Amino acid sequence: MQEFLAQIINGLSLGSIYVLLATGFNLLLLVALIIHFSYPQVVVFSMYIVWLVLNATGNNLFMGIAAGVLSSIALNVFCAPIFQKVMKNRGEVDVNATMVLSMAIGFIITDVLSHSFNRGLPIAFPETLTGSGPLFRIGLISIQAGQVWSLVVGVIAVSAFFILLYKTRAGRAFRAIAEDPAGARLVGIPLLKTGIQSYALSGIMGGVTAVLIAMLLHSASPGLGESIAHKVLAVSIVAGLGNLVGGLVVGLALGILEAVVQGYVSGTWSNAIAFVVMLVVILWKPKGLFGIKV
Amino acid sequence: MPLSLYYYLAITAVNILMSWAIYLPYRVAHLHFITIANMTISGYLSGYLVMNLNMPFFWALLIGFAAGGIIGYIVSLFIGDAPTFAVVIVGFTFIYITRTVVENMPIIGGTMGMFGLPNIGGKPATHRYVILGILWALVVVVGFLIHRFDNSRLGKAASAVFVDKDLATSLGVDIKKLGQTLQVFSCIIAGGAGVLYGFIYKSFHLDFFTFHLVGIFMTTIFVGGYSTLWGTVLAAPILYGLPLLFPAEVQSWRIVIYGVILILVLMLKPEGFITRKFVHSIGIALSRKREKL
Repeated sequence: MQEFLAQIINGLSLGSIYVLLATGFNLLLLVALIIHFSYPQVVVFSMYIVWLVLNATGNNLFMGIAAGVLSSIALNVFCAPIFQKVMKNRGEVDVNATMVLSMAIGFIITDVLSHSFNRGLPIAFPETLTGSGPLFRIGLISIQAGQVWSLVVGVIAVSAFFILLYKTRAGRAFRAIAEDPAGARLVGIPLLKTGIQSYALSGIMGGVTAVLIAMLLHSASPGLGESIAHKVLAVSIVAGLGNLVGGLVVGLALGILEAVVQGYVSGTWSNAIAFVVMLVVILWKPKGLFGIKV
Repeated sequence: MPLSLYYYLAITAVNILMSWAIYLPYRVAHLHFITIANMTISGYLSGYLVMNLNMPFFWALLIGFAAGGIIGYIVSLFIGDAPTFAVVIVGFTFIYITRTVVENMPIIGGTMGMFGLPNIGGKPATHRYVILGILWALVVVVGFLIHRFDNSRLGKAASAVFVDKDLATSLGVDIKKLGQTLQVFSCIIAGGAGVLYGFIYKSFHLDFFTFHLVGIFMTTIFVGGYSTLWGTVLAAPILYGLPLLFPAEVQSWRIVIYGVILILVLMLKPEGFITRKFVHSIGIALSRKREKL
């Protein structure tokens, strides 16, 4: 029972990461109308920047975290005009073209990371960021700082995002574009400006997620972005593309499923089992459990 | 024949076949990356049959084609008319699952891979000529079939589905059946290409079937032009050959180069270099020349 509880706690912290990623991904899909498949690769890039700055500044946490968040915003906003140009070329909203473009960006990020940082070897984050040991231990249950932070910050970040989306003027603009871009333009909402704001906002979420993943996993490798990207896209599809509440439920469920499977099955198979479950759901309901919102 | 030329010709042919395998379902806006999982499954299966059961290569190749088709058919029952992003994630998920299964199966070498596949025809030189012969014969046959398809009613129906699914449905196109047909055909091609891909190197290793293949094939299709089969024929030899002209340090950045080219083409030439309009104008020019003669 204790082991099961420990895995549930692991799953909740892992799930909160998936929720953050799926929320940032869905925000871009709803407002900027792009499938930013490589959004998790941008997050992993930010993790590398955090590592680089921590190493360069003698583990200055503030500088490291700030650099991670800023790099994520910068990379996201830098991609914005490229996405806009491709969409303009197509003459209409073509989410498939943006997905191909995003994949290309992802290939570049992954390859650059595997060539230019730590000679392609995995990186390990210092204890200043990850914490030196478990915060507390009850029998088999040991709670790490990363788990607590990812759960707490995950809940705060997603709550803040939902408040922004449903209680503020900017949020109304985001939702109006998601509901009907042409109608939103008619009532005077600037599509481009709001779109860029969504890139920046998802950049902030990406930067925060990068720091949390670093705290949770203690390490990163160039291939990490690809594997998370597939899971985030799978979460979003299983939930229903653009469905924020669905993403929240499915993200948490995937985290718990993965953690529970890892507790009882050999490591190499656990990922595959999570993917098989996702695959079955996608094959059964290609439009998602909670319905597509785009 | 120099070894470098053999590898160039063989890998170019595989790239053409695999890019076509992705091009076909993309005619109905499906990015069907399950083809890469099919390459792996059929490749390893044929390797096992030849190495462990001493099955003749040609039977193993046929079984490779069939395995690809059967997997493609079963999956297409579910995603024949699914949205593009669902098809993409099914493909990626299959790649992951296939890799995990292969990694955990010592009988086919697991993480170590499968080495020492026999030469077809006894001698290494004969092996190379047989592989090249089969590969390029396949390119001709598959190319001919796709050309016929593109100019048929089915091809026109696929174009209608690509532009507007609702319009195509109202015109009487069975979207699911068409999607299924294209997915199955693409998986058959991928199955055979997977077998031949391994036999080029006389070995199978998981490193042969990574996600970088998605990048290579996608770049080939989108740079060459996704609306005709000729784009692939032009792009595959150039994209594979170009990095080989540079020093080894530059070659190792191949995927970055492909990524940059793909982004630039999507921005500047959204339909790729060879468009349907371009092919059509060449066709008209050729027929005029023929009339004059």
